Amino acid sequence: MMKSLLPQSQLRRSAAAASAAAARSSGGGAEGAASDGGAGAGARAASSSTFWFLLHALCCFISLFLGFRFSRLLFFLLFSSSALYAASNNKSAAVLRAITTTTTTTTTTTTTTNTFTLSFAAAGNPPPSNPDNYTALDAAGDAATSGSTQSHVVVGRHGIRIRPWPHPDPVEVMRAHRIMERVQEEQRRWYGIREPRQVLVVTPTYSRAFQALHLTGLLHSLRNVPYPLTWLVVEAGGTTNGTASLLARSGLTFVHIPFPDRMPLEWADRHATENSMRLHALRVIRERKMDGVVVFADDSNVHSMELFDEVQKVQWMAAVSVGILAHTGTAEQPRLSEEDKQNMPLPVQGPACNSSGHLAGWHTFNSLPFSGKTATVVGEAAPVLPRGLEWAGFVLNSRMLWKEAEGKPDWVKDLDAVGENGEEIENPLTLLNDPSFVEPLGNCGKKILLWWLRVEARADSKFPQGWVIDPPLEVVIPAKRTPWPETTTELSSELSGAKQEQEDRRLTRTS
Amino acid sequence: MARWGLAAIAVLVAAAALFVAAEAQAAQQGHQTERISGSAGDVLDDNPVGRLKVYIYDLPGKYNKKLLKKDPRCLNHMFAAEIFMHRFLLSSAVRTFNPEEADWFYTPVYATCDLTPSGLPLPFKSPRMVRSAIQLIAEKWPYWNRSEGADHFFVAPHDFGACFHYQEEKAIGRGILPLLQRATLVQTFGQKNHVCLKDGSITIPPYAPPQKMQNHLIPGDTPRSIFVYFRGLFYDTSNDPEGGYYARGARASVWENFKNNPLFDISTDHPPTYYEDMQRSVFCLCPLGWAPWSPRLVEAVVFGCIPVIIADDIVLPFADAIPWEDIGVFVSEDDVPKLDSILTSIPTDVILRKQRLLANPSMKQAMLFPQPAEAGDAFHQILNGLARKLPHGENVFLKPGQKVLNWTAGPVGDLKPW
Amino acid sequence: MGTGAAAAAERPKQAQRRGGHLWKRALLHFSLCFVMGFFTGFAPSSSSSWRSSAGGGGGLHPHGDQLAASRVAVNSDQHLRLPPPSPEGSAAAGGGGATVDLDDDEEEGRGPRRMLIVVTTTRGGGEERRRRRPELLRLAHTLRLVRPPVVWVVVEPAADAPATAEVLRGTGVMYRHLAFRPEENFTTAAAEAHAQRNAALAHVEKHRLSGVLHFADAAGVYDARFFDEIRQIEAFGTWPVATMSAGEKKVVVEGPLCSASKVVGWFSRNFNDGTTRTVTYNTEADLNPAGAAGTRAHTIDVSGFAFNSSILWDPERWGRPTSLPDTSQDSIKFVQEVVLEDRNKLKGIPSDCSQIMVWQYTVPSPIPLKKSPPKTHHRR
Repeated sequence: MMKSLLPQSQLRRSAAAASAAAARSSGGGAEGAASDGGAGAGARAASSSTFWFLLHALCCFISLFLGFRFSRLLFFLLFSSSALYAASNNKSAAVLRAITTTTTTTTTTTTTTNTFTLSFAAAGNPPPSNPDNYTALDAAGDAATSGSTQSHVVVGRHGIRIRPWPHPDPVEVMRAHRIMERVQEEQRRWYGIREPRQVLVVTPTYSRAFQALHLTGLLHSLRNVPYPLTWLVVEAGGTTNGTASLLARSGLTFVHIPFPDRMPLEWADRHATENSMRLHALRVIRERKMDGVVVFADDSNVHSMELFDEVQKVQWMAAVSVGILAHTGTAEQPRLSEEDKQNMPLPVQGPACNSSGHLAGWHTFNSLPFSGKTATVVGEAAPVLPRGLEWAGFVLNSRMLWKEAEGKPDWVKDLDAVGENGEEIENPLTLLNDPSFVEPLGNCGKKILLWWLRVEARADSKFPQGWVIDPPLEVVIPAKRTPWPETTTELSSELSGAKQEQEDRRLTRTS
Repeated sequence: MARWGLAAIAVLVAAAALFVAAEAQAAQQGHQTERISGSAGDVLDDNPVGRLKVYIYDLPGKYNKKLLKKDPRCLNHMFAAEIFMHRFLLSSAVRTFNPEEADWFYTPVYATCDLTPSGLPLPFKSPRMVRSAIQLIAEKWPYWNRSEGADHFFVAPHDFGACFHYQEEKAIGRGILPLLQRATLVQTFGQKNHVCLKDGSITIPPYAPPQKMQNHLIPGDTPRSIFVYFRGLFYDTSNDPEGGYYARGARASVWENFKNNPLFDISTDHPPTYYEDMQRSVFCLCPLGWAPWSPRLVEAVVFGCIPVIIADDIVLPFADAIPWEDIGVFVSEDDVPKLDSILTSIPTDVILRKQRLLANPSMKQAMLFPQPAEAGDAFHQILNGLARKLPHGENVFLKPGQKVLNWTAGPVGDLKPW
Repeated sequence: MGTGAAAAAERPKQAQRRGGHLWKRALLHFSLCFVMGFFTGFAPSSSSSWRSSAGGGGGLHPHGDQLAASRVAVNSDQHLRLPPPSPEGSAAAGGGGATVDLDDDEEEGRGPRRMLIVVTTTRGGGEERRRRRPELLRLAHTLRLVRPPVVWVVVEPAADAPATAEVLRGTGVMYRHLAFRPEENFTTAAAEAHAQRNAALAHVEKHRLSGVLHFADAAGVYDARFFDEIRQIEAFGTWPVATMSAGEKKVVVEGPLCSASKVVGWFSRNFNDGTTRTVTYNTEADLNPAGAAGTRAHTIDVSGFAFNSSILWDPERWGRPTSLPDTSQDSIKFVQEVVLEDRNKLKGIPSDCSQIMVWQYTVPSPIPLKKSPPKTHHRR
């Protein structure tokens, strides 16, 4: 029995097994020693020396174990005292008092638990809202419990355990973020599209006051798209450094395509120009045989990430619903009652379905409230309204643009035959012979997946090149406040407005 | 010299034995929470039909239906399981109308359907109510006296089960109602080695409204962007002005240590998006309150948020069927201040695995009491638990004339007629 | 214990046989082992905080060490159906989604990144409400690209909260959505925004969320680099902001005049009518506390500054008298004053304050809450 136990005791790793084995084997060892001694003589000297060796090893092991336990205890004490110092560093005013080491005995009907408690107070560290701002750390814990029917849970008052070292630990914060990142990645893997197609984003743009603003917004959205993506940016009036540097910074795969014509002022002309810019991008896709889903994203559009999931479903050409954020113009614009305003639903442009989920028609934008008030020039102080069906509401499989593609349906026109005679390409439906094949996406168009908003400054608006103020402004008049009027407090703004006039001097610059 | 050495060895060995004993005990305690055996999926999918027969005593309406009529709010609180269990059994396939062939007897008493004006269930009348019901069935039918309740089960979903008091100290003082000493209790309360937890009790989840939860389900691909989520009390200032009694100080500790941690979205306000927020959290704290359990446990499982169970020695619902160790994280009350380190040091693979297990529909189903009942739901798990106790042991049925229960035990107040 | 005593009693017989030095050697071994155990006890304290007891494998952990997520079995039966299988196919989902890089802390060698607290307020009203969804989405997309830790605090009138919650949920940004229930009815959009900002600050103060706080308007557009810049702020920071109006010929940039990150004054420049107004600090007046107090009525617009949130509850740390911190409800005003006063702690961003990374625009709208332009920015 002993022989089988001893090797086991040397190999053991698990606490329970180790304990039991150790207890039994030490008993066995003692017995063995007794019988050995009783036999006397050197007849069994060899076996007794083996035994002696084993006993020695066992005792060594016990020492090792005890040392381990002892160090753990010591470690705990050391640990809590270092925590005290951390607390004292936190605030100079913190007074440190190691109170007492108390032994409490709590009696319940089932248990008698001796809790050895080490308490100390770190004054000033916990916030005043907490009346019990002391720390109680159970030191030797439940060492004294005995018997098998006991729970170490104590009924009665417990200390509120507050750790004195500072929170949150930046390293742990980063670790948590990494965990969340992985979790989200896994969620995409579970629920996302199995074999995503590349997204080809077509964006017409041109250099203007709002360009940086709009394009920055769009590129941030595109950077969030969880699929491979290529961004085709067509710039009217040729490529500019401003646009190029913005694109370069984006970190996205992009193709910057110059378009020779400048962007015209009139909204109607502009619309046509933008359409031919998009067509230009489609020809690039055709030439390079780029494979993927084509999404038309104007730089002023706002997209939801759901759109990019939805477009993965497109067979050949699909349509999604676009929310139209046409601002209603200036204060002199159509007067709608306050209530109408509140209840007016967001105008939507997009596909309409019949009961069986097939395309039945189109929701179009109701321009009635804007009649006679619309802008002809983009940037006029009146709303620019969407035209018929906006390109942004369509997505298509790039293969339908290719000269030859497997399974390309016959209701798709060849791109070379489109717009060759200079006729206007009003919307992507012109690419089809039969528009009834368009697939409605986004829960049959019920879900708005992107928004259309044309906010532009007047076309002749000036803005700093690259949005860098150059040369730096010189210093003019000493004063100690901002030169623009107070904004948050109505009263003081009026008061200061008057003073301001006297103190500030206008400096006209010729930039 | 040698003698001195010997003495040293003796001390060493003695000390080692002491440590070893303590260690063995600790290990033993640690192992008790582990699942009995088998794979969760199988056990959860067990069908109790055909494995047991339950006879429902036909009690006067004053023990159940009339109580509910008086206060329909009983249907919505955490203890509503007792009502839904009754309704479920009435139309269940395991029900028998022949008491002679019954394996189990069920006494439909809505002991917790007695609410204060503000809607709090306080079980002051419950002992008398239960006692009265037992007296009735013992007189009218022979089956109670045959076993003195050992083949009867009672649903007692109150804070401290059949101790019938909302304060733990008082509940412990009272102990389990003497007349229920032999019966099997189906209860939410689960605290190991506690006076109010009888051996052989079936621990069930608290009632959480299934339809309401269903209505708040959001798509599974909603990115989980909260690391730790908790909504609820940290201090119960009205009942525990001193602090430190409520939740054994654990909730207060959560607040004091982690309110300033952006990863911990913890607060006392209950937002309308509570259920949705749980679905976008990685970890949901389930600390004890006055009792070790809370409905958060159910909510966390249903919403796929890894439950962080802070309640020492808790007995979890259907622990023999649900692999709590695999789906949850256990943090001892003393370790609350280290919660951030503990949670951030769990390997991501382990976290992802827990989430996959939580996504298992049979796990969610076992936590709910849906209307109407569905296969694998909590009702079925209760029946499974009862079926696993069959056949009854020898000590269930008493010899003729043998008496075990003391009908006059307990506080005088409990002995008054109801 | 009894067995130990028995063992001890039997020992002398052997001792006689073997001689004394053997005992010395044995004791030496024991004590060596003890010391060894003692030191191993120190070693694994960090790993014990996470321990997986697969197969009941335990370890020599003292009772108190039962901590942690301890009892989590890692390997386990395969009977559980793991719902959606995850084939490798989608691993190619490459593009990666928000490719937030988390791992470059070490490379930077600058220590941990400071937390960013981005506060966004929203207003009621039809037009505003309609635009809220896309605007919040756009801001969320930007914030998603900012390296963590970032917490986004969105304040909103309680009635509108459920619809917005749905938008926010989908973004994956770590946000806190505060439903705002005002006690009063606001006559101006400015007053409402002001009250909401205070509500946000109250949250930050209650939770002692410590980091660089900035009020980001949903109608603003931010260069993603901007957020990395404001992370460098120790106490207060300010930068130029461009404001444009739809349909008008107006591009105005307002911000600090800087000299090597130090703010020496303020400017406001209209690029279209060519006017520039500047003010600079007078060093003498600056040293005079009375002069400083006299100008306190002025505030700096919230879109143009960020500050270390601990100023809210720990003004002493920032060298301010303890009596001053906001006992009032008006935290934002307090902060605005502090930012203007403590200009020594004010950092210009980026260092020469010449790069514009924040754009605001106003859209004309016919629903005037009052006569003035009702949009969020009240500067002209």
